[in-house]
Amino acid sequence: MTRRMKGALVLAVLAIVVAAGSAFAASTATPGVTRSTIKIGGTFPLTGPAALYSVIPKAENAYFQYVNARGGVNGRKINFKVYDDGYNPANTVPLTKKLVEQDKVFAVYGSLGTAPTLATRDYLNKAKVPQVLVATGDSYWGAQYKRYPWTIGFQPDYPGESRVYGEFIKSKVPQAKIGVLMQDDAYGQNYYNGLIQGLGAAKSKIVDVEKYDATQTDVSQQVVKLKAAGANVFALFALPTQTITALVVATKVGWHPVTFINNVSSSPTFMAIAQKSGADVTNDITATYVNDVWNNPDTASAKLYKTILAKYDKGADPLDANNVYGVASAWTFVKALSMAGKNPTRASLMNAFTHLNAKNPFLYPGVSLATTPTERFPIDQQILEQYKNGGWHPFGRIFSKAR
Amino acid sequence: MRLRRVTAASVAVTVVIAAVIALLPLTLSNYHRATGASVAVFFIAILALNIVTGYTGQISIGHGAFMAVGGYTTAILTHDHGWSDLPTLPAAAVVGFVAGVIVGLPALRFHGVYLALTTFAVALAVPQLAKNYPNFTGGTEGLALPTHSGLWLYEVGWAVAGVMFVIAWFLLRGRTGRAFRAVRDSEVAAASSGVTLAVYKTVAFGISAAMAGVAGSVYVLVNNFVNPDVFGLTLSLYILIGAVVGGLGSLWGVLVGAAFIQLLPIALTTSHISSSQSVPVIFGAVVIGVMALLPLGAANLLRVALHFGSQSRQSSDIHLGTEGR
Repeated sequence: MTRRMKGALVLAVLAIVVAAGSAFAASTATPGVTRSTIKIGGTFPLTGPAALYSVIPKAENAYFQYVNARGGVNGRKINFKVYDDGYNPANTVPLTKKLVEQDKVFAVYGSLGTAPTLATRDYLNKAKVPQVLVATGDSYWGAQYKRYPWTIGFQPDYPGESRVYGEFIKSKVPQAKIGVLMQDDAYGQNYYNGLIQGLGAAKSKIVDVEKYDATQTDVSQQVVKLKAAGANVFALFALPTQTITALVVATKVGWHPVTFINNVSSSPTFMAIAQKSGADVTNDITATYVNDVWNNPDTASAKLYKTILAKYDKGADPLDANNVYGVASAWTFVKALSMAGKNPTRASLMNAFTHLNAKNPFLYPGVSLATTPTERFPIDQQILEQYKNGGWHPFGRIFSKAR
Repeated sequence: MRLRRVTAASVAVTVVIAAVIALLPLTLSNYHRATGASVAVFFIAILALNIVTGYTGQISIGHGAFMAVGGYTTAILTHDHGWSDLPTLPAAAVVGFVAGVIVGLPALRFHGVYLALTTFAVALAVPQLAKNYPNFTGGTEGLALPTHSGLWLYEVGWAVAGVMFVIAWFLLRGRTGRAFRAVRDSEVAAASSGVTLAVYKTVAFGISAAMAGVAGSVYVLVNNFVNPDVFGLTLSLYILIGAVVGGLGSLWGVLVGAAFIQLLPIALTTSHISSSQSVPVIFGAVVIGVMALLPLGAANLLRVALHFGSQSRQSSDIHLGTEGR
């Protein structure tokens, strides 16, 4: 009896010591922040089916290097850790845990992909680790902030974008017979939902919807089916590789519909690849929100953008919209970090992210960057553009509050 | 005499390994404990595959699908029906067993590569099914589950792995194990010795899938998230790679195989950031290298060491399941 009690006592003391120790550890400095550095990290598809986005973290890091070279943020240099999850959420989960628990990052920044973000959102919110500027435009991040206050997106939401396409088709293509190619997951579904909303009563004009699995890169069969269904409008809610394939196959089988390409796959670099492979992409339509460095290469922002890439991301293609995206996103992070105070905490960072009101020089002129605690879509304006003479040309007005 | 000495040595080595695994978390960080729990998941999955492929000679490239079945059982029961975590494990085993028996039925008619392709099709189809019933499975958005500490996961993972190992050990060393090996080595000889092929093949698939279901269950608890992409085709292939690297038809190598497929990709990914494109290439090269140096897997190395280089190995135990029909 006494021995057992003694054992219990020892255990209890141990437990208290451990608890006190962990409580002490928790009360000390914010993880990832030292006097001279701030460590952040993210997961990106450097390999795998979405690897065409692998330039994004490099461009982001280039901007951080540029900021670091000029003294950092409040005297702290940004150290950005990048892990490759191959666009597979089964990898994202352990890698994100590694970022938080092993690398002890201050915040998870820029992680790419809808499924990977969904897979880690619950964990990061429970651990109260900021999951900021996730590189995915699903509407969840902005809409479900009550349940997931530590998560925030960046780009306009996908449903908002495709809603604009839907409205455009309704008013400008009266005889439309719409064929949709979409990725068979939450990302594709988000785009599809927006299209339906935008079309309203005209949604009966959708004659066929073809889906593909994220791991699948050959979408020829689906394209042939859409053509066979008699579609004369082609809505492409697909990742870059699949989009390029679809554009090439469509031309090869003699199908020339009015084509809408989702923003995440419409980088001029991808269009050039499609063209080189034989696709006719003239008059295709997409939407954008980043600075038009293609048509206005001589603005101060465009020049700065190119200087940063040339210096800190050697070999990067300045014409790839993903690089503009990366620099614009990194600019936003730096902005929020500087707003988060001289001694930033995870809470003060989130506070900054929900009180943004800034003019981001790497966004399309007129597109604002603004959030409030109850309005958590940092960007919700964009403009349509059409592909002509080897480049995108914006037309019409900026759509505000596209949602 | 030699046999008895080997058995004693086996038991001693097993006890030492078990003790190391039990004490290891004391020195590990929370993150590494969770990683250790993932190794336990693959330990169970490879053990499961070994029963049907290594011992019974029925190739499966579809064990990720059985993991999916178990994983979704746990996820749905905890998420939608208020079950607590651990009671879902036996449920996952039962559901896995049923799925295994169903998939095992074609194994009665198909051999070798045809059976492999059948299981491959199952691995492709199951995640798709999960996508098609979003109200039930959460669809592509998936289901998020409560988080646990690394230590809890580690202890649960390895306790379950230990139980599975003991079950496999007793199963394979007795009558059933002999019958499995007989089926693997020669179906004709097995049948003429009174082994009912249909029963043993189906049972092997059922038990194996039950274990894989449990592995999937623990996997979901470790990741505290499930969606169809978690159980993609690569998962099945990794389990197969782990089984081959560890050594098919041996319980020894399972640990090595599990550590190999869980730790190597993470180590490569997180240490070669600048050259991330090369990670799959390096991983592939290592797999080829291991195959070239240890054609019968890591288990054979252990066995040779145990025998002090003796020539009298029991060749039937280290037979590759695909041959000798």
